[in-house]
Amino acid sequence: MKKVLLLFLITCVLTSCSKSPEKFTNYYFDYFDTVTTVTGYADSKDSFDEVCGEIETMLKDYHQLYTIYNRYDGINNLYTVNTTDGAVEVDERIIDLLEYAKEVYAMTGGKTNVAMGSVLSIWHDHRTIGSNHPEKATLPPMERLVKAADHTDIEKIIIDRENSTVELADSEMSIDVGALAKGYATEMVAKWLEDNGYTGYILNVGGNVRTVGAKADGEKWTVGLENPDATGEDDAYIEYLSLAGETVVTSGSYQRYYIVDGKQYHHIIDPETLMPSENFRSVSVICDNSALGDALSTALFCMTYEDGMALVESLDGVEAMWLSNIGEVKYSNGFDKYRQ
Amino acid sequence: MKNKTRNDIILAGILLLLAAAGFLLFTMLKSEGDIAAVIIDGKEVSRYPLDAELKTVITTESGVNTLVIKDGVVYISEADCPDGICVDHAPIKHVGETIVCLPHKLVIKIESKKTEMSLDAAA
Repeated sequence: MKKVLLLFLITCVLTSCSKSPEKFTNYYFDYFDTVTTVTGYADSKDSFDEVCGEIETMLKDYHQLYTIYNRYDGINNLYTVNTTDGAVEVDERIIDLLEYAKEVYAMTGGKTNVAMGSVLSIWHDHRTIGSNHPEKATLPPMERLVKAADHTDIEKIIIDRENSTVELADSEMSIDVGALAKGYATEMVAKWLEDNGYTGYILNVGGNVRTVGAKADGEKWTVGLENPDATGEDDAYIEYLSLAGETVVTSGSYQRYYIVDGKQYHHIIDPETLMPSENFRSVSVICDNSALGDALSTALFCMTYEDGMALVESLDGVEAMWLSNIGEVKYSNGFDKYRQ
Repeated sequence: MKNKTRNDIILAGILLLLAAAGFLLFTMLKSEGDIAAVIIDGKEVSRYPLDAELKTVITTESGVNTLVIKDGVVYISEADCPDGICVDHAPIKHVGETIVCLPHKLVIKIESKKTEMSLDAAA
């Protein structure tokens, strides 16, 4: 009897060693103007690379469809929609994104508006020049921004799902999905993993972090929330989160900016003031959908803490952390359960 | 009776052996220090122990970055990339932390085989 038990024990030890999956990481640099990290558990590097091949194909497709800066042969993307008069036949994934964008617009009271392209492109041009040639850095003239803001009505994005077309009913308007596209693509990749039975993955598309299940050993993933004002290696993170299946997205004034007369001007433009929102240093959102997290972190960044808190508390399964300009940190009521 | 005692001794011996092996494995892993992995376009090209003191130029297809390891931390002191974000990045030392130079497709990542808490991502 004891021999049997012993054999059983030894077998357990041996098999658990040979069967435990290994952790792998791959990097991608060509999508959404950022670095994408895919980490996951697989039995071999080959089987991990096979999954990553599918992931990269998806990232590439979403990048090419959602970009407003390039055209691609044989694809009608958002660049095509922005530069074409009349209805443009588009891939279903563009219809899906824009319909979701309208939902998010309603949810955030217009703070996340993908029809802001006319305003955002002016900021984008000034930021690009100012970053490349600091001596030529200037602010966009307010009258230009105000004029452009007349052409930001999201209702004028006409979506026809039946015929799979999109039309901009205002010829001076343009679409900019920067507040949403990265998160939406991340979510679609995560959904694909879940639907195909993969678990134990963590996707990081330029700070848009989405976990798929827990780690192979059942432990949750550890995600650090960056401290934008870190002075060294010891205060690099404000918070450590434990996640398994959730997403966390941070919008921050430190991520993309340029300097005019010694002052930083970042990339998150408040639709009301048409200027970079100065409410916070960063806002992080935890929820179960990376597209929602992406859109909400932008919206909360442009709202007061009180309004943002009310919005977060009105939504199921959404938590947020606000970091003020003086370093004060505030949390929504359920945030604590994710903290380490 | 005799048989039983013998089996007990065998069991005890095997348990002891297992414990010794576990202890050995544990100390082996523990003594392995943290390292900085240099990854260019997704491929790890080199790794350095964090207890080293060095300054080295990493050459990528798109340009060069100077990697410094000093007092257990890692940072990029110089680079010819257009944005300089890697140079502005605070020094790193914790497992899982990264410095990314997007224009050069370069990632510096702290790795470890220790079982201590490590970072899986940052947002």
